[in-house]
This record gives sequence, C-alpha cells and structure tokens, in this order.
Amino acid sequence: MMTRKDKLFFISLLPLSSSLLTILVLSIATVALKSLDSLQTFGLNLLISSTWNPERGVYGFLAPLIGSVTTSILAVITALFLSLPLTIIIAEYLRGIVKNVVSSIVELMGGMPTIIYAVWASQYLVPFLKEFIMEPLHNVFKFIPLFSCRPITGFSIFASGISIGISIVPYVTAIILEAHQSIPLAYREACYGIGATRYESIKIMLSLARPAIVAALILGFARSLGETTIAAVTVGNSMYLSSCLFAPGYTVSALIASQFANAHLYPYAESVLYASILFVMMISIALSFYGSSTIIRWRSRIVV
Amino acid sequence: MYSWRKIREKLFTFTIILLSLLAIAPIIHMIIVVSINGIVTFVKAGTSFFTGLPPTPLSQEIGGIAPSIIGTLLMTAISLPITITLAIFAAILATEFPKNPISVAIDAIAKSLASIPTIAVSMIVYTVVVVPMKGFSALAGALALTIVALPYAYTYFSTALRSVPAVYREAALSVAMSRWGTVIRVLIPIARNGIAIGVLMTMARIMGETAALLFTAGRFRNRVSITPSKPVDAVPLLIFDYILSPYDIWHQVAWGATAFLLLAYIAIFFAVKLIVKEVKL
Amino acid sequence: MFAVEMNNVSVYLRGRQILKEVTLKVPYNTVFVIMGPSGSGKTTMLRVINRLIDITEGARVVGSVNVLGFDVMNYDPYELRKHIGMVFQIPNPFPHLTIYENVAIAAKINGVVKNKKELNDVVRWALEKAMLWDEVKSRLHEYPHQLSGGQKQRLCLARALAMKPKLLLLDEPTANIDPVNARKLENAIVSLKDEVTVVMVTHSPYQAARVADYVAVLYDGMIVEQGPTQQLFLRPTTDIAQKLLRGEM
Repeated sequence: MMTRKDKLFFISLLPLSSSLLTILVLSIATVALKSLDSLQTFGLNLLISSTWNPERGVYGFLAPLIGSVTTSILAVITALFLSLPLTIIIAEYLRGIVKNVVSSIVELMGGMPTIIYAVWASQYLVPFLKEFIMEPLHNVFKFIPLFSCRPITGFSIFASGISIGISIVPYVTAIILEAHQSIPLAYREACYGIGATRYESIKIMLSLARPAIVAALILGFARSLGETTIAAVTVGNSMYLSSCLFAPGYTVSALIASQFANAHLYPYAESVLYASILFVMMISIALSFYGSSTIIRWRSRIVV
Repeated sequence: MYSWRKIREKLFTFTIILLSLLAIAPIIHMIIVVSINGIVTFVKAGTSFFTGLPPTPLSQEIGGIAPSIIGTLLMTAISLPITITLAIFAAILATEFPKNPISVAIDAIAKSLASIPTIAVSMIVYTVVVVPMKGFSALAGALALTIVALPYAYTYFSTALRSVPAVYREAALSVAMSRWGTVIRVLIPIARNGIAIGVLMTMARIMGETAALLFTAGRFRNRVSITPSKPVDAVPLLIFDYILSPYDIWHQVAWGATAFLLLAYIAIFFAVKLIVKEVKL
Repeated sequence: MFAVEMNNVSVYLRGRQILKEVTLKVPYNTVFVIMGPSGSGKTTMLRVINRLIDITEGARVVGSVNVLGFDVMNYDPYELRKHIGMVFQIPNPFPHLTIYENVAIAAKINGVVKNKKELNDVVRWALEKAMLWDEVKSRLHEYPHQLSGGQKQRLCLARALAMKPKLLLLDEPTANIDPVNARKLENAIVSLKDEVTVVMVTHSPYQAARVADYVAVLYDGMIVEQGPTQQLFLRPTTDIAQKLLRGEM
C-alpha cells in the first residue's frame, strides 16, 4: 500500500539509482555501435580468420577468441582441482581458529588486485611451469598435438590458463562454500545417520551440490574470459593459431591491451577490437546470468 | 570390504589435503616473493621511492613512484565518493522496496555490470570521455574505476542493509519516523559495520584496478599532477608497463610498486577484519 | 466519541481472511484488552489501528476504522502514527542508541519538546511512568543490550510514551518476560489511563482480568463478545467466550 509519502520517498531514490541502468545501457550501446563498422565491412570473416595486418586492413580475431576460450577452460579445470578440495577442507574438516585463518586467507586472495597475481605469475609461475610441467610433458607426450611444440619462453596458452585459474580459485571457492552453507543440516545429519564414513558423506554432499558446483565453474569461466592483466603478461602475445597448448597465443583482452592504443591509426582497427570484446561481453553476461540463476533455482529446491 | 573402505577414506583425506595446500601455496609464495623483491628495492632506493620520479630505462638509480601514488590517490578520491553515493542509493531502494520490479531490475543490472570485462570499460570510457576531451585524464580514469566498482559496492551495501532485522524498522515506524528518517536514523546506523566494510573493500578494488585505466588515465608519470582534467598515472598501471618492459631497472621499480600495493591492500584487509570483530546486535 | 472505532473490518492476508467483520468501540482513557488464543488475529487488529499493516506483504483491509477522530484508511499514516505509541511482543529498543537516546528520539522527532531541558524532563517522565527510572537513572548513557528482557520492554514503553501519544497499543507486552517484571509492567500500564487510552492484546485471561476496564474476546478472527470486564467474566453470554475466559481453551 503506497501512500503519497511512500511514493515521494521512492521517487527521491530513483534518479541516482537509475544511474546503474544508464551506465549499463551506455556501455553496451557504445560497444555495439563501435563494432558495427567492422562487422558490416568484414562480417563473419573476423571470426574465421586469424590474419592480423592492420596496415593492409586485414583482420581476423579467431586466434585470440579461441585463446580466450581455451585459457578459460584451462582456468576452470585448474580451479576445479584446487577449489573443490579447499572447500571440502574448510567446510568439513576445519574448526575454530584454524578455520578462521584459512577462510581469511581465501578471502584475502579473493580481493587481491590481479596485477599482483600477474607480476608473480610472469616472473615465477611461468618459468616454474615451463621447467617442471611443460617440458616434461612435451618430452614424454610430444606425439599428442596438444603437447607437440617445445616451450621456449614458457609464455603460452597453457601458462596463461593455469595462472588465471589460480587467480579465480578464491572466487570459485567462495561460491561453493556459500552453496554448502545452504544445504540444510538435516541432510548432513542423515548421512551420518546411515553409517557413512566421512568420505562417503562428502560424496553425497557433493552430488547434492553438483548443480551449484557446475554453476560456480560457469561463473568462474565468465570471470576468466574478461581477465586482462594476467593474460597480457603470460600468454605470449602471438596471433599464431596452433593446436599446441605450449605455444604462445593471444586472448581477446590481451590483444586489446596491446593493440588498442594504436588502433586509431588504422581504419577499422578500433571497430574490430570493439567487435572482439562484444563477443566476449555477450558470452560473459549470458554465462553470468545462467550461473546465478542456476544457483538460485538449486537453492530453492533443496530447502526443506 | 571393511579395510578397503578405510583405505579409501585415508586416501581421500590425503588427496584433498594435498590439493588444498596446493591451492593456498601460491598466495603464500606470492606474498613472500613480493615482499623480498620489494624490500630489496626499498632498501636500494630509500624513502625517495615514495617521493621521487621514475628512472629512465638505462639509469642506475631507482628513483621513485610518487606520480603514480598521487595519481592513484587522486583518482580514488574522485571515484570513491561517487561510487559510494550511487551504490548506497541503489541499495536503499532495493532494501526499502524489495518486491518492486525496479529493485529486481537493479539486482540484475548490477550483476550485468559486474560481468563486463574491465578492459571493455576502458574502451567505453575512452570513446565516451577521452576522445571528446581530446586527451587522457584523471577524470576519465576515475569514471572508468567508478563503473568497475559500482556493482561491488552495491552488493556490499545491499547485503549490509538487508541484514538489519525487520523489527527495528517496525520500531522506527511506530515512533512516527518518516521513510527517510527510518533509513538515516535507524537502518544505516545499525548497518554501519557492513557499510564500512563495503567502503573499504570498494576502495581496495579501485586502488588495485589496472585494465580499466589502460586507455583512460594516460600514464603520465614524469611529474606529479593533481589536475583532474590532465593525464595521470596509477600504481597498477606503472607495474603493468614496467614488468612488461625489458629493462632491469624498471623491473626493480615494478617490484617495489607491487610490494607497496600489496601492503596497502593487506592494510585495508586487516582494517576490515577489525571492523568485523566489532559486530554486536 | 470513541478513541478507536472499527466497523465491519475484515483483513485478508494473501487471500486468507484473518479478521472477519470486526466491530469494536474503545472508550477514551480506558484500558481495553483484546483477548484470544494464538492465531486469532489480535496482532493484526493492532496493526490495522496504526497502519503498520501497510508493510505486510499482500495485506488487504476492508471496512472503516476511526482512530482519535481520523479516518485511518484515508489518512496519512506517518501523521497518524505521531499520536499512537506501540510496544511490540519482542522488545526492540534501538541497539545503536543509548537508553536515554532511545526515549529521547521519540520525543525529538515528534516535536514534543523545544529544548534540551524539556527533553530531559520528558525522558525522565517517560521512564518514571514506565517504572524504569530508578533502575536506569545512573546508566542513561549505556546501551540497552545489557538490560534484561523486562527492562527492555519497559524501555520500549517509555519510548512510546515519550511521543506523548493519545493512544497506546501494546502487543502481548509481557509475553516474553518473567512474572515479576510482568507485574511491574502491568502496574505501569494501569497507571497510564489518565493520560492515554490503552489497547492491549493478550492471550491470558488472567492478565485481562487484572488490568482491563473493557475486554473484547477474539476467536478465529471474530469478536465473540465484548463489554466491561466484570460483566464479561461473571456473565459471559457465549459458550466460546466462557471457555476462553476460564482458560479452558
């Protein structure tokens, strides 16, 4: 029941609150409009080719697009192997002060500026990966196309994927932990009630939480797509599209980071870059919505 | 089989402990390594690291990052108040009219804003502000930072406001408070810890953001500048440029700056933890 | 004229009818008790009087309600509430204000006082009326979380009184406090009759017998019977009322 005073209150809040809508609309409109030029001129060619020659007016961002997707997939796999155990440890094994400390460390990691991750990754993680993981894998499995090229500097799709993966671990962990808190105590007690060991009851919890875990990974994927600084310093900045994970490559954000500043010198270059981020944006927003709504639906289903 | 069950259990526990340690190891290593490299730079440069100007690529002296620090502070000073004001209004609207379709929309809008890649924000502000202004500026950088930080601030604030028990709103109405009175005299004071945390975390986000500044702030690091309409630098930007460069002296500066940023972030984090301890309803 | 007059008031909550054609007349300067078992709609009735029902989702009110001469359903609720004080079932003093400030804020925002001295006087008066002054006079600048449940409830009463209201609504005020404090609260309530009209809700017939001048018995959303206390208890006319008043239901 809205009285006149309630309506006035509502209206007084509206202008500043609607700034969020204005910003969103402005952002999407700008990206869409600026992409128009290159989309009309080059059309689907942009998506199919990976030749990048601004001076000759030849553009194709297939390589960075695939690079973004591949690094994000690697990131999510990394996050899966690291976040899930971490969540289980925090939720089921730790208590008291230790739990507080570990949770705080995860929180700390989560808000850390990504540039710090980027510096650490480019100076320490990548050389480590090159020597202890990439080269051995290459030496043993070089018949598999994924590992067929010899890592020279270590900067590659693989290194970038792992680096980004490490940076999204806190984010994914937080989402899964929150989902775990939502599971009613009744279910957990039921597990112990039927004589399950800790491992078995955790397995049951995990299967219960599976939609939420998948959603967390989808949200992590969306987050990785947009990651710029870590990608720019670890991916190797090469437009060469290869099936080998250890070769240097590009992601859309890394491409933009290195090319946008000079893009105004070449016709269509800016527009092409806008088009490339438009794709990433659309995928990212769609996946974010899908991920969040999955969690919301899951939560309403499991509440007793 | 009984013993197989036990073995499985032990194996499982062992594996997840190992993987968890692996998950935490990077951050520990990161903090140690950044601190050590940073301290090396600090020792070599002395206090002039915070007051001096950055070195030329072939110089032997480390110099300092004063322009970047001032730039970060300037853009934070412009962006933080704007972000907080917009976010708190939106949060109040969403909390006071929870069933209204506009509130639901605001939630969805905030989520969408958060999914926009920060480099896209940089490109957008470039087109909308930098090009018409015919140059980079602290203002453009601050605007980009605001866009990036808004959804986070909104989420923190709306969580804080929503956590105020409904009974206090009823009590406020029963003593004949107006809607705004209820918000300002009761809701916000009771939620002040959550709001303070939101402010601090937003500040940390703004200070650490890199991609949004790439095409907006201007990278002007030869002199300290506090003119909002002129180009400016920021600490994360300097780190980004210098660590990508091939010059050893710039790498040292980058480490010093990284350590500085890490320190600032940890300080804010501790402040937040102190506030959280103080919750008492 | 009556302090509160309800005519054929029905309240629907998400389709379900909570109050069924309630008709009620509360005389000025009396303690009027609405008595009934849990779930009979007593709280809803109070919340209609000061329009607090507005904030309940999906609530619909039908019928005419007249409070202190105002047509409640067509009057600005924020203005209306200046004349009505309310004490809730679970004590809810503002946690972020001191004991003094809790009482003072009610007086300040309603323009009851003009300066600091008058404010101090009103705070003291309200706390004395609520029979809490002696227990808190030396710790007015402490926060309410240290008070006992009964003391918090008396603080809430003082807060409501500081508004200098003409009508006081009490929603099962002693439901969550110990018997000693309950008695103190009841005594305070009865002593207020000269200055305010009190409408109180309770599920205890014994409490009704102790404090009420008039009683209305509410069962399943309907007023089963109403009248002066003596008359009602000694000669109830309906079966249900008899059972409820004897505590048999």
